[in-house]
Amino acid sequence: MNQIINISTGQLLLALVFILIAQASSFIYHLGLNRDITIGTIRTFAQLFLMGYVLTFILKTSNSFLVLSVFMVMVVSAMFIIKGRVKEKQIPYIIPTFLTMLVSYLATAIFVSGLIVGITPWWEPRYFIPAGGMVIGNSMSALAISLERLFRDMRQQKELVEMKLSLGANYREASLDIFRNAVSAGMIPSINAMMGVGLVFIPGMMSGQILAGTDPLIAIRYQIVVMLMLVGSTAVSSVAVMLFVRRRCFGSGEEVLLTPL
Amino acid sequence: MTPLLEIRNLSFAYEGSAALVFDRLNVTVQEGEFILVKGPSGAGKSTLLRLICRLNKPQGGSILFQGSDITSIAPAKLRSVVSYVAQIPQMIDATVEENLLMPFSFAINAAKPRPGKEELHEMLRKFYLGDVTLDQSAMKLSIGQKQRLAIMRALLQEPLLLLLDEPTSALDQESASMVFSIMERLNTDDRKTLITVTHIDFKPETVTPLTYTLAHRSLHLNESDH
Repeated sequence: MNQIINISTGQLLLALVFILIAQASSFIYHLGLNRDITIGTIRTFAQLFLMGYVLTFILKTSNSFLVLSVFMVMVVSAMFIIKGRVKEKQIPYIIPTFLTMLVSYLATAIFVSGLIVGITPWWEPRYFIPAGGMVIGNSMSALAISLERLFRDMRQQKELVEMKLSLGANYREASLDIFRNAVSAGMIPSINAMMGVGLVFIPGMMSGQILAGTDPLIAIRYQIVVMLMLVGSTAVSSVAVMLFVRRRCFGSGEEVLLTPL
Repeated sequence: MTPLLEIRNLSFAYEGSAALVFDRLNVTVQEGEFILVKGPSGAGKSTLLRLICRLNKPQGGSILFQGSDITSIAPAKLRSVVSYVAQIPQMIDATVEENLLMPFSFAINAAKPRPGKEELHEMLRKFYLGDVTLDQSAMKLSIGQKQRLAIMRALLQEPLLLLLDEPTSALDQESASMVFSIMERLNTDDRKTLITVTHIDFKPETVTPLTYTLAHRSLHLNESDH
């Protein structure tokens, strides 16, 4: 029951049948996705194999510097993905976003592995890296949504914001609704995930643990911690990033710097 | 006596453009004056008003309000005494009363006396909005009604200087006359200092505004009008 069944290379390649189905669908219905599906498949194989070897090495050596370096690479990669999605040229948002991500994700991952799981040392890669990965992956999407919403609404509602400024509002008061909408837009997917978990879907981490032979009652405890961690880290990072980036949307005279594209 | 507003050698160009909209523009406004700024479209009339309340940033020169450089005044404080009403009036999706009382929801105006319903009704009548009720949606008003409501809202925070950006440009003749009449009364009866940007030939009956033309990147006083 607890024995892990290995997937051989042949069996792994058999899973490419799913990709062939996806490619066929794109080809037949002219979806124009063939290239992306191919690149995505190659990247999935390459990135996960690389990650597998890196993790094997890190688990063996158990070196805190290496663990934190992997964590850093993950945050930098997330920042590049956000930069690719949020096509904002006027407002310099990258440095405050990156620093906030780094601090808040590090704090969350330390809290989970060190305090909740109670592992010593707190950077034990077996717990710290998966926890960090989940926090970064989840919050990255939330931040991209929040940033896109913030910049879009600031542009679309510039006249409304200026009206409030003209009536004595400071920049925080003038953009309060936009700030709230941007933060909640990023947080809603994590909250919705809490509603559907266990009913609509079995989360990836829990499925993985069960497939690997863990008792489901232990797996659900880990999953509950993960779900709560994701909501908390998304809230903290979204609020902090929006606070810093919103300030950058205004100049020294609290004038709106964004102009229509 | 220190002028209410003094603009010294103001230079401005839009971001990414080398062409100056203003080049060493100078003007002085005394308390109680009624200034009309005319000029062709694109001359920078709106920009001038926006620079006075720091909604745009100049490249050179200085703007003094009551003798203090506006960059030394906290932006919210400046805008609570120098109130700008945009060409297209903006309302939030709420009642007329909520829109009118909006300035008091901001920290800088929180200590100012909040007008009661009776006072608001009286003001609505003065602004030719007697048929508008406080609990109706502001979004459903006509553009002319919104414009008068926007001017009234700006006045509720008791500004020392009111900046009106083309207040009649989107209005029909009847609404435009109402707005002109309101501006005239604000200056003559309430002694408000006004700077109004307009391209319409407006000749008030009871007051002679100082009329400037914005041309060649500077302001020129129309002596013939006085």
